[in-house]
Amino acid sequence: MSIELPEPVRTIEAPFAMDYTYVAGVGRSLCLRGMARKLFLARTCPRCRMVYFPAPEQCARCLAPLGEPVELPGTGEIHTFCVVNFPFPGQLYQPPYVVAHINLDGTGTTLMQRIMEIEPDQVALGLAVEPVWVPDNELEPSLASVRYFRPRDPALRSPLPDNESGAHA
Amino acid sequence: MSPRVAVVGVGQSKQAKQREVTIAALVRESVGRALSDAQLEFGQIDAIVLSKTPDLFDGVMQPELYLADALGARNLPVTRVFTGGSVGGHAAIHGTHLVTSGLANRVLVVGYSKESEGNFTWALSRPLPFNVSLGAGAGGHFAPVIRDYIRRSGAPEHIGWQVAVNHRLNALRNPYAHLHLPDITVDKVRASPMLWDPVRFLESCPTSDGSAAIVVTGEDEATRISAATGRPPAWVHGSAWRTETGHFAGRDEVNPRAGVECAAETYAQAGIADPVRELDAAELYIPFSWYEPIWLENIGLAETGRGWEMTDQGRTAADGDFPVNPSGGVLSGNPTGATGLVRFAEAAQQVRGLAGEHQVDRARRVIGHAMGGASQFHAMWVVGADKP
Amino acid sequence: MREVGIVAFAQSRCLAANRRDDMADILAPVIASAVAEAGLERGDIDFFCSGSHDFYEGRTFAYIESLDTVGAWPPISESHVEMDAAWAAHEAWTWLQLGEGEVALVYGIGRGSLAADLDQVMPAMLDPYYLTPLRPHRHALAGLQARALLDAGAIGEPDLAATVAASLAAARENEFAQRSGVHSVEDLLAAPYVSAPLRELDIAPIGDAAAVLILAAGDRARELCARPVWVRGIDHRMDTHYPGNRDLTRADTVTIAAGRAAELAGFSAAEVDVAELHTEYSHVQPLLANALGLGARTTVNPSGGPLAGNPATATGLIRIGEAAARIREGSADRALAHATSGPALQQNLICLLEGAA
Repeated sequence: MSIELPEPVRTIEAPFAMDYTYVAGVGRSLCLRGMARKLFLARTCPRCRMVYFPAPEQCARCLAPLGEPVELPGTGEIHTFCVVNFPFPGQLYQPPYVVAHINLDGTGTTLMQRIMEIEPDQVALGLAVEPVWVPDNELEPSLASVRYFRPRDPALRSPLPDNESGAHA
Repeated sequence: MSPRVAVVGVGQSKQAKQREVTIAALVRESVGRALSDAQLEFGQIDAIVLSKTPDLFDGVMQPELYLADALGARNLPVTRVFTGGSVGGHAAIHGTHLVTSGLANRVLVVGYSKESEGNFTWALSRPLPFNVSLGAGAGGHFAPVIRDYIRRSGAPEHIGWQVAVNHRLNALRNPYAHLHLPDITVDKVRASPMLWDPVRFLESCPTSDGSAAIVVTGEDEATRISAATGRPPAWVHGSAWRTETGHFAGRDEVNPRAGVECAAETYAQAGIADPVRELDAAELYIPFSWYEPIWLENIGLAETGRGWEMTDQGRTAADGDFPVNPSGGVLSGNPTGATGLVRFAEAAQQVRGLAGEHQVDRARRVIGHAMGGASQFHAMWVVGADKP
Repeated sequence: MREVGIVAFAQSRCLAANRRDDMADILAPVIASAVAEAGLERGDIDFFCSGSHDFYEGRTFAYIESLDTVGAWPPISESHVEMDAAWAAHEAWTWLQLGEGEVALVYGIGRGSLAADLDQVMPAMLDPYYLTPLRPHRHALAGLQARALLDAGAIGEPDLAATVAASLAAARENEFAQRSGVHSVEDLLAAPYVSAPLRELDIAPIGDAAAVLILAAGDRARELCARPVWVRGIDHRMDTHYPGNRDLTRADTVTIAAGRAAELAGFSAAEVDVAELHTEYSHVQPLLANALGLGARTTVNPSGGPLAGNPATATGLIRIGEAAARIREGSADRALAHATSGPALQQNLICLLEGAA
């Protein structure tokens, strides 16, 4: 007996929905609570004197518990950067936009953030930048309370593109 | 001296989006080829090591369980190693450890990715808790590092374009490579869209489905198998893995110390003092073209800041004195969970003289290299045609 | 084989849901405690190996965070398994056989509590084409296995309850246990089914904890520890996946792994004083004991076992640590540890331990 085989099944849908509770931890909570108050709270390793932002609980080099929080000015300079030039699925912002590693003044760590209020082709290594916060009523214990960084020098600034002028979606 | 270990069987699948086969069938394709290369049956394998990318990429949790039959794993030890992008290298090295320690005689190391199966974008764009979502994508991490390299080395911008051309031309001689771009030129790379400035579209790796497998044995078994098959083994001369923490003050991501130390340990085991002279070629984990000079410097094949000169002088092209990624490399095919293992396997095929049309002349000792995370995870081996 | 001994073990208390500490914070004190117990500094450790799984953590490459606690600077020799950390112990033991180093640190992190509902997660562990789309309740396959054992006459429901009562009573002496207490078999049998014939306490609770084991080779182990616990044999074996293709009343891969471990060890599972078994369900204890040939001389799960605390991918590693602890404290000379992975005991690891000699 022969059975005529049907066409193969090419795809099946098996969507997942998985919900998780993420635990911030003690060290991170401190930093995140600072964000909700527009404060950059860094912590210093008592042994090697390295300053971390955002700070974990212990120094990644010495494993010593980090010290009491100290407030940073929040300013910094661009260590290096790239320009995201193309659209891709799941993207949050309209390209082109600049993503930079920022050396925050007073720390030895870099923070990754967007650079706005400047044309991408004007961004340069070493550019001095400052944070722009979300409106006070949107402040949260989250690094996203900083909308982006912009040039400290007002002369270098350009207006935000239309789609960015309000709070982003 | 440690017992000698060799690669006696290699199998690969075509690297491409593969919607016609299941995950198990994709894995089985390479496993079957590797066993057939070594003329072994499933029952002759003692242990299996599995390499793949994060399970959220294709949505199967601990796939070694579901894949037990496809791997021929019933009643065998199976270890699922996971260290980010370097995982294929870690898996191969752990496979050699199982042999060296005397725990197994014949180890099958398997890697795969089938990201077309799941929603890769979803997995990658899941917000990392407590980080700000920048939506920068994979290249958004590496592009700033590349900019830093260019600044430090003063390399001219055409280096990245040239690497992209070299690797894609190499891929034309590798039937397993995902991308075959016969018309590629420096001008075309330069004219391709800028994705993550300074990285252009044609300087970036694709996302591929694919699998790879190797069989690793001890000396006696390698000798027996190669006599039976007429295909020589690739002897492992040295191997190492190193990890460094991702974020700490002062970390150098352009020239990560873990990579430097991983290479130094590998060369020490292999008795190599002057790697670029004593070695013949390398399969390096280069997902963006600028990582050719970056890794050449990091693993001691070029002086710091001068790796790009090797590219510029044509030394790393297929007809150069030190070909890099004769298979076409990651830029021509990137089944992420297998990508590292493919580098290790391609190095073995070169010294076995079985690399087909992309065979490097007189390749006696070749590097296989893998990297993961934010250049935090490094794995390397040197394989040779002669016994160490 | 090269002699390798356990010289220190530490764990954190298993909590139903640790909402204070992140992965690094859970792990840091446990590493510090184990390292201090062995009288080591981090720089004395030649190799690190860990086990965890992203599906419990809800993000890709989650284990990377734990490396900040390990302190991978200067760079370290390190590996990781996306499995229970008992398999990391196997990898570390293998690494020590190479003779390239003397001391290895193994750690496991398991957080079952982060997923809002593990029933959303655990079906992903099954065949993605045939089984996952059915979305079985996460205890469904265990219920089928328990039912198969009952139907085969191998056990009765009172045996399940007796196992639970013994485990939770033993756990009263275990400061790290999440669950403990005195229960009568009658009370236990009066509870409603969760996945018949399994009731709530037949099933290991969801929990969060970390565990750290330090291994050292030969004389280095003797230097570091007055009574190192020698890992005499260790092996693991995989069964086929599809539950319908297996006889769920048997655990042949347990027997195979135990046989291979016994070859290496020179003594068998039947000769141990203590066995710590990875019993996420009460019904697997008699099944495992039978597959291992355990008799009356062997005390099973004196810690209370996973029914008293089950921190996901750290659970198997804790079995090794608990078994070793019985030898170090002198209540056993030989011990066995078992770890499992996958649905209905699909993959099993056996470790045979011995004190002195």
